[in-house]
Amino acid sequence: MAEQKDILEEHIFSEYKYGFTSDIDTETAPPGLNEDIVRFISAKKNEPEWMLEYRLKAFRHWKTMEEPRHWPHLKYPEINFQNIIYYAAPKQKATLNSLDEVDPELLATFEKLGISLEEQKRLTGVQSNIAIDAVIDSVSVKTTFKEVLAEKGIIFCSFSEAVQEHPELVKKYMGSVVPYTDNFYSALNSAVFSDGSFCYIPKGVRCPMELSTYFRINTSGTGQFERTLIIADEHAYVSYLEGCTAPMRDENQLHAAVVEIVSHKNAEVKYSTVQNWYPGDKNGKGGVYNFVTKRGICLEENSKISWTQVETGSAITWKYPSVILKGDNSVGEFYSVAVTNNFQQADTGTKMTHIGKNTRSTIISKGISAGQSNNSYRGLVRINKGAKNARNFSQCDSLLMGSKCGAHTFPYIEIKDKSAVVEHEATTSKIGEDQIFYCNQRGIDTEKAIGLIVNGYCKEVFNQLPMEFAVEAQKLLAVSLEGSVG
Amino acid sequence: MTTVEKISASEKLVSDFEAVKKTLPENSFVQNIRQKAIEAFAKLGIPARKNEEYKYSNVQKLFQEDFTQSAIYNPQFTIDKYLIPNLDAHIIVLVNDFYSEELSSLENLDKTVVVSSLKKAFEKYPELVEKHFSKHADISSDAFIALNTAYAADGIFIKVPDNTVVEKPIHIINVISAKENTLFSPRNLFVIGKNAQLQIVETFASIDLTVNVISNSVTEIVVGENARVQYYRVQNENENSQHINTVSASQEKNSHFDTNTVTLSGGWVRNNLNIALNGENCETHLNGLFLANATNYVDNHTLVDHRMPHCESNQTYKGILDGKATGVFNGKIFVQRDAQKTNAYQSSKNILLSDDATINAKPQLEIYADDVKCSHGSSTGKIDEDALFYLQARGLGIESAKKLLLHAFVNDVMQTIRIEALREHLENLIHKKLD
Repeated sequence: MAEQKDILEEHIFSEYKYGFTSDIDTETAPPGLNEDIVRFISAKKNEPEWMLEYRLKAFRHWKTMEEPRHWPHLKYPEINFQNIIYYAAPKQKATLNSLDEVDPELLATFEKLGISLEEQKRLTGVQSNIAIDAVIDSVSVKTTFKEVLAEKGIIFCSFSEAVQEHPELVKKYMGSVVPYTDNFYSALNSAVFSDGSFCYIPKGVRCPMELSTYFRINTSGTGQFERTLIIADEHAYVSYLEGCTAPMRDENQLHAAVVEIVSHKNAEVKYSTVQNWYPGDKNGKGGVYNFVTKRGICLEENSKISWTQVETGSAITWKYPSVILKGDNSVGEFYSVAVTNNFQQADTGTKMTHIGKNTRSTIISKGISAGQSNNSYRGLVRINKGAKNARNFSQCDSLLMGSKCGAHTFPYIEIKDKSAVVEHEATTSKIGEDQIFYCNQRGIDTEKAIGLIVNGYCKEVFNQLPMEFAVEAQKLLAVSLEGSVG
Repeated sequence: MTTVEKISASEKLVSDFEAVKKTLPENSFVQNIRQKAIEAFAKLGIPARKNEEYKYSNVQKLFQEDFTQSAIYNPQFTIDKYLIPNLDAHIIVLVNDFYSEELSSLENLDKTVVVSSLKKAFEKYPELVEKHFSKHADISSDAFIALNTAYAADGIFIKVPDNTVVEKPIHIINVISAKENTLFSPRNLFVIGKNAQLQIVETFASIDLTVNVISNSVTEIVVGENARVQYYRVQNENENSQHINTVSASQEKNSHFDTNTVTLSGGWVRNNLNIALNGENCETHLNGLFLANATNYVDNHTLVDHRMPHCESNQTYKGILDGKATGVFNGKIFVQRDAQKTNAYQSSKNILLSDDATINAKPQLEIYADDVKCSHGSSTGKIDEDALFYLQARGLGIESAKKLLLHAFVNDVMQTIRIEALREHLENLIHKKLD
């Protein structure tokens, strides 16, 4: 018991690895939100009139909306939306022709995070498998491998660039999956979104490398509102990765992103996230409020969208990556590992809306709560009338470590077609003492045994992650939970 | 042109209370609670669909019409029709919420067992009633509990003393009839003492109902230490009837409580079943079955609150939906910090027979203790095609094969009914219904 306590303390005092701040020259808007700020952001980005109109419409709608407070299993103080800085950008020249022009401090930041943009450049031409779009505060700083991708007709650039260069695509798809009226945070995002990634895979192209966006909040008092749009045209395939970190600050920072995915006929999009925003300190002070709307639509037949997420960071996570299965025979998947420790709170899950015939969805969710945290799974499976032979399987397991945390499951199952087959299972328990005992017997110490058991518990989800991410996720999990069994 | 703003149904119910209050029994203890309850109701209002607990229940629609609160109308009928064949039981009859001594028959009931109207119980057993009345159904937790607590004129009070076994089941027959739209608010309190045993069967009937009625009932059940209680409710009613039933049970240590809620018919039914496990080693079983067709709406909400360690709870709810019916199962297992070594299980299974039918299931776990085993499962589907084929291959017609499979589907809930006559009666009713 004493030994376990030591391990627990060791973990509690373990530091957030990415908590440094970078001293980068930034240009910020004054805090507060009004139409002028919206116009300011739009003007800064030199946006066309229609984009500004969209932002203003979203902003006016947002003002009429209420914060979603009553249904999530989350507790947090009032957010003053007038205290947030809605735009912060590293000062730099208008256009960058090569990496040499990028602020060296910025490059160093990404170096520290383990994402070497320099190295990426050197590797150009050599077989490398990840193209990265790096977003710091409100602005995308550099997208690597653009040229290689362009040869195949793949567009992978920052969202702002896409607005300038591919307005027809942005106009057509933006807001088609997550309209600005969707919810409070999507409306807010639509009004003030700063940057993000845009990705278009043309017909019949299988993207040769993993596309990746790396998000970082740096400036104090800012919110990050990025917007990602991924379109896979007929028969296309893309695997997309997303990672995020933030500095340690005493204040709570707001992150309200919108991700939209459109998957056409026979196309497949695989979206993986390793979310590691600053979770706050051991007393629950500071940390990022992560209020994210992610949704994909399987627009035509035989399309597929797969979400995989590993959620270890953020003080509060409010996130439901969803799939609308509109095309016949389309497939939606959701694999999630959510870890909460100390005073973290997570209310996360998915929504699968079956509209087309023979649509299938799978939900695998693994929650792990430790410390005094609360971890909730909230998911909706909806079978519309006429969605013949729809099939869903959901499994939600929760693991409790210590007697002060909470694990909750709130599934919503709505079925309006008699041919549907929907199954949901959930279990909640702690790590079996006999499993640990068995490992101990074979010379594996308790801490390693727990690591082993937890990894085994999450294996179904980790198996879905691309190789590099799977390794990172396993390490992250080990750090997040180091011996936190009571 | 001037427009007169129509006051909302909640506001009307609050303002009507002033008049209704005068017709209700006088007793300072109750009056006090009533006042608090109406204030709680005024605060809560009739829940909108934005309220998570009423997400699928459009209760505001129920209250669109005006309702009177006091039913003075006394229907003429014979009770024989509402008895369960071959069920040897003590009979309690309530007519429009009021206990009818003439129609009830309690000749062979142990004299130490108290059966009385709640109104009389306030006078005769003030200490006991005041100890439990409104203590288990929390007025601040739900608008309809608050509304009932404010409006309830009468209901039944049962007390089984310590160490008493009531051999025969008690059958409570609720009869309602009305000539105009009426809101009924029956209120029951059952107190079962230490080491006592009791079986209750409650049925509902309506006579010549052509108007809209809402019955908003609240039943509080106290299961004493080491007591065994079985509580069966059969809802087989007129399509005009609308029910909001709340049962709040509280269990002391080592007690067993079994409930069965069988809904075979009824226009609009919402059952709230709240069980609080207040002692160690309690066991509770919640079983439910609903068959709905036409435009029926059947909503089962359960809450099992594990407050103490070493308790076990088990839930099985099954539904068959046809026509344009809507079924809801919303179950919550709540395990509090201290309730270590809890075993809790919850299962909701449903079959849809029609494309116009809807099922909404929300099985929930909210767990704050780590050394627990909690799980739930929910499945919805059609009749198993392989099983159907198997039976057809053995010479059964498709219709009878389907029927056989549906009977098999409901069988495990039926088997939990331990009163044979009741089980047979229900099997007959289900048989007819599935035809």
